Amino acid sequence: MRNRCATNSPVRSVLENAENMTIQSVPGVALRSLVTTAGEDLADGFRQWRLWGRLGWLEVRRRYSRTVIGPFWSAISLGMFVLALGSVGTGLWSKSASDYLPFLAAGMVVWLMIANIVTESCTLFIAGTNLFRQMRFNYSVMAYALVWRNFIVFAHNLLVFVVIFLVFAPDRIAPNRITPATLLVLPGLVIVLVNSVWVSIVLGMLCLRFRDVQQLIISLIQISMFVTPIFWPPENLQGAARFVFVDFNPLYHLIDIVRSPLLGRLPAAESYIAMVALTIVGWWLTYLLFSYFRKRIAYWS
Amino acid sequence: MTSVVVENVRVDFPIYGSRRSLRKALFERATGGLILRGEGRHQGMLVVKALSNISFKLQEGDRLGLVGHNGAGKTTLLKVLAGVYEPISGRVLVNGKITPLFDMMPGLDGEDTGYQNIVTMGMLLGMSRAEIEARIPEIEQFSELGEYLDLPVRTYSAGMTARLGFAVATAIEPGILLMDEGLGAGDARFAERAANRMKEFVGRSRVIVLATHSEPMLRSMCNKAALMHEGHMINFGSVQEILDQYYSIVHGVFTPVIPVSGEAPYVGAGQS
Repeated sequence: MRNRCATNSPVRSVLENAENMTIQSVPGVALRSLVTTAGEDLADGFRQWRLWGRLGWLEVRRRYSRTVIGPFWSAISLGMFVLALGSVGTGLWSKSASDYLPFLAAGMVVWLMIANIVTESCTLFIAGTNLFRQMRFNYSVMAYALVWRNFIVFAHNLLVFVVIFLVFAPDRIAPNRITPATLLVLPGLVIVLVNSVWVSIVLGMLCLRFRDVQQLIISLIQISMFVTPIFWPPENLQGAARFVFVDFNPLYHLIDIVRSPLLGRLPAAESYIAMVALTIVGWWLTYLLFSYFRKRIAYWS
Repeated sequence: MTSVVVENVRVDFPIYGSRRSLRKALFERATGGLILRGEGRHQGMLVVKALSNISFKLQEGDRLGLVGHNGAGKTTLLKVLAGVYEPISGRVLVNGKITPLFDMMPGLDGEDTGYQNIVTMGMLLGMSRAEIEARIPEIEQFSELGEYLDLPVRTYSAGMTARLGFAVATAIEPGILLMDEGLGAGDARFAERAANRMKEFVGRSRVIVLATHSEPMLRSMCNKAALMHEGHMINFGSVQEILDQYYSIVHGVFTPVIPVSGEAPYVGAGQS
């Protein structure tokens, strides 16, 4: 910015004089710069929860406006998918329906939320131009709204899991199947959502600048559904493939820290370690990118 | 005291297009390292110099009209003042709340009802829920939309949408008011009431920056004016002086001299 002149001392002193002049000639005034830092954007944006809460909620309403059952359509289509695939999978993996269907439903509910967040993130800033080209705007508000509206849909989809849990696994209703581990659903979800925010900011910026990335992400997310243990039990895969698609697949850990507690099981400690690492590295990277490129977002749009 | 200080602001718009694809950027990164020179990372891209060396100051009570041809940089300057674009170099300092009114309704959505849009727009303009609720009767009364406010905005005519936008926009407490060509407003009868409300609204604001081609608007609303030409602010002074100069450019009598880079004089407070 101005430090372009910093090496050239005569110019710099002129500039400094100009600054001093300015400040002296407007006495008793607290002037603030219009520059927003990445940290301010993220923190102030989060504090505007009424705004992003509203933007997210209205978006859900809009998407299902004039339908009778609204967001439950998402749940119904998911339910049909789980039933159909569950029938095939039960035979394929020679598991009992009471074992396989809750596993499939829990995995799909979480995966669907993550997949939708990732896909929608690609158009986060492309679709939001009419907002941030009109006023000074905390871009993070859009990311929070996106994650929030997908969480609302997730809450509706969760009904599929609950119904399947009740119908297909009556033995799990007994108190010993809703275990203390079930409580870990909450921290699991928090971890998923916290990571969703940085993913949507990074993908939003990347896809705004490079319009090809969106296509790439859509193909990748489709493939990820098959290579991540959602349809198939992770223990069925062995050897090097297990290493790649289970142990080193962040999506597996992200899904499992919610899925296992839903099924009353304790997630593996490795999953938590992986997720803490992902959260730290992801947010650190996002902060760097956002600090550097935040001011370019308006120019890229 | 409300004030705006603009110092040596420069804005360039690189035209992303042929280089927007990742493939090409990666390719150039791999092969073009040595041919990069001059404009750095925007080398080889068309760059529009939208604003160069803009410096001025505004204080409480200043009502600045921006005059110039299409593409002279008026809107870009307003957007820089709004904080939409951060300048490539230079800076903008303000004291006071900024109220940008470029679009009638930022965040307007046809699927939402009039009432829902009032709340969303109010929040986007920085009002709290309670402040918006308090102003709803006034907006209802002024917009005269009656029961339509319960219907989705997509059912409104263009004039009705404009009335809603105008009613909400002028209900807020303006600080440093930034306007592009004023606000449009419905049919003739409404336009008359709108003119009065606009006058009162503008009167409440502390500082105004208005980009316009309308001489009556400039004369009635502004007490200072600046002439924009090809991204430079070539003069800053009284409305009469700037209008005279503008018309002499329009009629080809006068060719503006663009100040040499780095020697932009500070204009604003003190001069009029």
